[in-house]
Amino acid sequence: MRFYLFIISLSLITLVSCSDGNGCYDSVDTLMVTSFSVNDSLQIKSLVIKGIDRNAMGDTLVNDLDSTLTKRYPLPLSLSADSTGFVLEVNGKKDTLYIRHSMIMMFISENCGFAPNYIVSGIRHTAGIDSVKIKDTKVNPQSKEKNTNDQNISIYFSSAAHK
Amino acid sequence: MTKILASTLVLLLISSFQGFSQKKAEVWRYEGPRIGMDLSRFLIPYMQKGKRNGWEIQADVPYKGNYFPTFELGMQWFDDKRDGFHYKNSGTYARLGVDMNIVKFESLKDHDLVFIGARYGYSAFNQETDSLSYSNYWGTVNTSVPLRTMSAHWAELVFGMKGELFSNFFLGWTLRAKFPLSVTHDPNIKPYIIPGLGKTTTDVPFDFSIGVYYRFPIFRTKKLPKPIKVGGTKHPGGNDQNNLNNQGSYDNGRY
Repeated sequence: MRFYLFIISLSLITLVSCSDGNGCYDSVDTLMVTSFSVNDSLQIKSLVIKGIDRNAMGDTLVNDLDSTLTKRYPLPLSLSADSTGFVLEVNGKKDTLYIRHSMIMMFISENCGFAPNYIVSGIRHTAGIDSVKIKDTKVNPQSKEKNTNDQNISIYFSSAAHK
Repeated sequence: MTKILASTLVLLLISSFQGFSQKKAEVWRYEGPRIGMDLSRFLIPYMQKGKRNGWEIQADVPYKGNYFPTFELGMQWFDDKRDGFHYKNSGTYARLGVDMNIVKFESLKDHDLVFIGARYGYSAFNQETDSLSYSNYWGTVNTSVPLRTMSAHWAELVFGMKGELFSNFFLGWTLRAKFPLSVTHDPNIKPYIIPGLGKTTTDVPFDFSIGVYYRFPIFRTKKLPKPIKVGGTKHPGGNDQNNLNNQGSYDNGRY
């Protein structure tokens, strides 16, 4: 009796243990969530974002022509350099923004592979941008799931600075 | 007179042979250290993704009939080539623990076990990743994570069975729940497989093994181990016929 119990349980467990998970269900896109807001009566009628040194056709990251007070976009950071530059064209006026960061590749899962994880350490920008605040220095694949009131950096424009 | 003496001698010889043959028919319980090999290590390459090879030897010794202090030693090599990365991991592991038989032995010749047990496990291993590539708007990065030596500690709860297929040869299986206690931190990659511990994608990895074992019958006894009392209740089989010879003692090397 015990022998039969042994064989039955062995067969059942062998069958169950044969399953192996498949497919990638985690995010591997690492994007820095950035909000664009105004400090006064300035209205953002258009916003175009391009990566510096990526001016070829089709390399425009954002081309938003809707008028709103606040806009929010996830932006990719450089994989090979320790800083990333963007040209921000608000209402036709161009400014530049540089993000300084460090990066390591981190493992997500065996099915998804690796994704970059950044730490934002500093910001530089031209005078047309009023101010930039770093809200969360960690940029990872979960960043783009932040809720609408949360972001990695906030960029503010004002009438005075945007002349 | 000589005829009488000769016939008396023949009778004595016959009676002594009869006595000897009766002694040979006595039933003994043989016990001793058991050594075996985990066969599932050879089956895993056919059941899971990635090249996963290894070996594991297992040994236990009986203690007071129902307890089996256990030692397990193994090695594992893992090589997983996926889209975007190539991960390699290899190392040695050992486990130390004890199994406790939870069923009554039905006779002196019954050695089948249903057991629960616990283990402490330690693994020293290294891992590296090459051919790592990732692409985004800014281009593609091709990089690698260099070889790093790591270690892991964990605890296991074990449930299993061992059955004596034929004299001194056993077949058994175990189901194990593993509880990682500590793993060396690598900033780039948490090892997703650890030799001896298994996959770390879940908090409590489960493992299953099938083994074959040989018992060295070094000790013999007529004493049937008393069933372990579970929850303080007396086992009803404690006074059965098999225990009539419970006053027997162990014989070392007399096989």
